[in-house]
Amino acid sequence: MSRVVAIARNTFRETIRDRILGVIVLFALLMIVGSLWLASISLEQEGRMMKDFGLVAVSGFGLIVAVFVAASLVRKEVEKRTVFVLFSKPVGRGEFICGKFLGLCLTMAVVMAGMGVFLFGVSWWVAREATPALLLAVVLVYLQLVVVMAATVFFSTVTSTVLATVLGICTYFMGVLSHNVLNLTDVAQNDPVLKGVAWALFVLIPNLSAIDVRGDIVNSAAVDWAAVGAWSGYLLAYTVVVLLAATAVFRRREF
Amino acid sequence: MAEPAQRDDAERLALDIRDLHKTVAVGFRRRKVEILKGVSLGVRRGDVFGLLGPNGAGKTTTVKVALGLMRPTSGEARLGVDSLGDVGYLPENPYFYDYLTGREFLDLCARLFSLAAATRVERIESSLHDVGLDDAGAVQLRKYSKGMLQRIGIAQALINDPSLVLLDEPMTGLDPIGRVEVKEIIRRLGERGKTVLFNSHILSDVAALCGHIAIMRGGIIIWQGSVDEALAGRDGDLESFFVDKVTS
Repeated sequence: MSRVVAIARNTFRETIRDRILGVIVLFALLMIVGSLWLASISLEQEGRMMKDFGLVAVSGFGLIVAVFVAASLVRKEVEKRTVFVLFSKPVGRGEFICGKFLGLCLTMAVVMAGMGVFLFGVSWWVAREATPALLLAVVLVYLQLVVVMAATVFFSTVTSTVLATVLGICTYFMGVLSHNVLNLTDVAQNDPVLKGVAWALFVLIPNLSAIDVRGDIVNSAAVDWAAVGAWSGYLLAYTVVVLLAATAVFRRREF
Repeated sequence: MAEPAQRDDAERLALDIRDLHKTVAVGFRRRKVEILKGVSLGVRRGDVFGLLGPNGAGKTTTVKVALGLMRPTSGEARLGVDSLGDVGYLPENPYFYDYLTGREFLDLCARLFSLAAATRVERIESSLHDVGLDDAGAVQLRKYSKGMLQRIGIAQALINDPSLVLLDEPMTGLDPIGRVEVKEIIRRLGERGKTVLFNSHILSDVAALCGHIAIMRGGIIIWQGSVDEALAGRDGDLESFFVDKVTS
């Protein structure tokens, strides 16, 4: 366990000190500030617009950071040959994948916390409408990104950085649209093949839409937190399975 | 089952490589290339051993297979230590984490060996001192010169005070003073009873430091023996011996 923590700490240090990360976060904060202008031109809807646009900025920029860093995380170690140093020591492949992933999760937690608190502060300042639910929405966006990061790390063990990035972004968008796949099973009542394919897709694609409460928060609608909690458990289990698959693939690699 | 005499021999070896073959697939068409064609090598405990050969002879691959970084196609490579926790390794042309300082990097390596906190601090400082980087411990590695990276690479290889040290081209990138210092480190390791195996093209250093050498060419060992044997009648000129063997 101490080796996993050491690798996670190292990954956190490396990623958080990367200047590109700072630039992306700065852009995200500027976008949130930019939403002030949108709020000012929307009659009687300042608070709603502020939250809506702010959450889009937080999830959009969070996705960019998560996918780009996750795609290069493992591959960079292989290409720059730092794996020689790690695997010539008593470090297992599973410990490596787990440590890298946890370090990335920590970096993303800091990034998302920074953006979330900033959005909360700006919303409160503009419309006195910020609620703890807004912060919870950011936490759930973070959980969605954790799943996407795990999938991207898996893709990076089997393909190039560019392709892993593309597949990671696809995973996110397929995930947030996955409820449509479930609708397809209703449509395909009389076609067992189509229904089977739809179910297989629904199982393979992480159901990120199940914890997407941004719309409800923005519209101040009631949220079924019990269902969100259950789906969050499913997504964490999905993450573990994907990381185990990444480890299994990485075990076969030679350097 | 091995005979008692053979078993005693094996127990005296810090690195025991037998009939090692390694074939890799290269290029788009996955063309098979045999890098190692039956390497057999024994490095005795406490010996300073030089693995020599022209570029592409298979020296680095042999070491990588021994460390488990690559899997053998056939044959075996056995380390005569309990685990990788008792091995130190410096890769060829090492690259480390740009945004870590020298001290942070050594701390990471020490943690990977699960060293206790007090031991970690003591080893980090003594390693930095041994490789002449006392003043550069707080500098990020991206600001290190090639020679400084080589030194920090040697420091990380020794952080766990290993019994077996594998150094791939440890003199590369070093200025003459750095070379003398690394030679001194290897000599001290030998005096302390550590087993050291290193690759180098600087044969005068090999002659000065090693007890035994092996020469590789085209994926096989073409000569193995003591440095004294190699130098017999050559007035300390290992280079002429090496050239004779490789070109014959």
